[in-house]
Amino acid sequence: MLKIENLTATVGDDAKQIINGLTLEVPAGEVHAIMGPNGAGKSTLSYVLTGRNGYEVTGGSATLNGENILGMAPEERAAKGMFLSFQYPVEIPGVPVMTFVRTAMNSQRKLRGEAEISAPDFIKMSRDIAKTLKLDPEMLKRPVNVGFSGGEKKRLEIYQMMMLEPKFLILDETDSGLDIDALKTVAEGVNAMRAPDRGMLVITHYQRLLDYIKPDKVHVLAAGRIIKTGGPDLAHRLEAEGYDGVLGEAV
Amino acid sequence: MTTALRDLITNPNAAELELLARYGMLPEDARRARAFEAFAKEDLPHRRIEGWRWTDVKAALQVIETPPRITVADTLITDNALVFTFTPTGFTWPEDLPEGIRVLAKPEAQAFGGAETMPLGALAAALSGGGKRPGTLMIEVAGTDLPRLHFQFSGAGEANFARIQILVRPGAFVAVSESYLGGAGFTASLLEYSLQKGAVLSRTVYQRASTAEVLASTASVQLDEGAAYTQTTLAFGAKLARLETRVSHQQAGAKATLNAAYLCAAGHHADITTDVRHGAPACVTRQVTKGAVLDGGRGVFQGKFLVPRNVGQKTDADMQHNALLLEEGAEVFAKPELEIYADDVECAHGNTSGALDANQMFYMRQRGIAEDEARALLTEAFIAEALETAGDLEDVLREQARAWLAR
Repeated sequence: MLKIENLTATVGDDAKQIINGLTLEVPAGEVHAIMGPNGAGKSTLSYVLTGRNGYEVTGGSATLNGENILGMAPEERAAKGMFLSFQYPVEIPGVPVMTFVRTAMNSQRKLRGEAEISAPDFIKMSRDIAKTLKLDPEMLKRPVNVGFSGGEKKRLEIYQMMMLEPKFLILDETDSGLDIDALKTVAEGVNAMRAPDRGMLVITHYQRLLDYIKPDKVHVLAAGRIIKTGGPDLAHRLEAEGYDGVLGEAV
Repeated sequence: MTTALRDLITNPNAAELELLARYGMLPEDARRARAFEAFAKEDLPHRRIEGWRWTDVKAALQVIETPPRITVADTLITDNALVFTFTPTGFTWPEDLPEGIRVLAKPEAQAFGGAETMPLGALAAALSGGGKRPGTLMIEVAGTDLPRLHFQFSGAGEANFARIQILVRPGAFVAVSESYLGGAGFTASLLEYSLQKGAVLSRTVYQRASTAEVLASTASVQLDEGAAYTQTTLAFGAKLARLETRVSHQQAGAKATLNAAYLCAAGHHADITTDVRHGAPACVTRQVTKGAVLDGGRGVFQGKFLVPRNVGQKTDADMQHNALLLEEGAEVFAKPELEIYADDVECAHGNTSGALDANQMFYMRQRGIAEDEARALLTEAFIAEALETAGDLEDVLREQARAWLAR
């Protein structure tokens, strides 16, 4: 599904190299976790994969279902099915959630050469998903993320994810800023998205989120490379021994 | 043309000669003469005059000629509006006027108090009239359940001048709109709004013209005790478009809201200039101006609040101007001025200009919204606040802005 080979990338005007020959494959139907210390390149990886300005690929490849995504504009990657749940969801004053998501959905459909969704279909879909996520329908009339609590913002990310039905999800520190109840709701939403034809990359600092979203594999990212890969138990070992302990062993 | 007349302007250009000729053809009238002399004192306003530094009319208006015709529909005309049209050659007004609205089309000019400070308003006062066009269109409004008065300034020709005085009687409530749709090489209008005690007036201004046209709309607003004046402008600019409003709070407790949005594409220049004198205690002014400019476009905002020491106590005034430079090569010039001599006042202002937020753009594109569409959505949201005061016309203005952004 998502295949990254020997990827190198730089960030910013001074072209600092943050990703240093990263190789990783997430097959369809699997959930992989990426854990790593601060500054390892976790968020950078998510931005490189989704095409943010200022993140420049200098070598290697990344393909989604065999298709090179690195040359595509962010919106084209989205239309191909890439979805990034942001660590810090962005406020968009003046644009109501419903308008935003419907515009996004129809833009994606247009890029894929599909027909737009009808207003009644959209509203029904939105209502059903809001109910699943225990989202107040009034919230969907408010401007995107403006005045939302941390938990509301993350739930809105999951709402968008469920509405847009992407093929591949990247969850960047989705657990940050969430209390345990919000974490459970968010995890339930993510688990509901698990499907045989869908892959997920869960980026996290802590093992806690992985108690709720069970990964098939855990990768450790440090200095811009995957330096260790294991099963779910690796997350527990990291929690117990810290990155230093595990990294020391790897080096 | 007599020598005396030509001496009014030193070294006139072709446009100024044409203005002199037009003046010479109008009937003699002492008030008209005073208005023209007030205009002619400094010639057509140019960049060496403070207040016109970024809007050099003399440079932009070398000759006065009919521009290539571009037809623009007037979307502000709705069923409930009483429509008055001013074209370079004619004038129409509704036959049936409801009770509460009296209209007088006077052939002669009326005195214009602010002539010295509003040169293009003075010019409009001096050159309005001739033929069947009124020198001054006087409208008196009383009552509260009235249709909207709509003034349209458009039509092909060399020049279009108009002067309208609106007197709103105590406690009356009325909505007014003005469309400047171009068609003339030079358009200058003077609108004088006088709101008596407790009167409420909402004014919406819509301006759209080609890069071959120069346009100046000057409004002079007088507010008596407790009067409330709300102005909402949407301007797309022209070769040069100057939309100027001077408000005088004359009695206690008056309130003015002056909102504007400008959207300028290449070759378009929109100038929003306002001057508010807080000449009575406890008056309120709220001003929100938003702009978005493309490569080769130019936006100008000049806002001034004056609070005199002896009369302006308890003034409550806020001025905000925020501009988006959507592309490299976009230009915005801003001059917010607070001149405050009273000590017991609340006056604030904010002024920003910058690009669209990169985080917002990426967030939207990551969700699949194409770059152009993301930019249009963010820009519309950015200017929306300035149009919220347009009442029934808010949606009409939003639609025009959206269509422009989608181009």
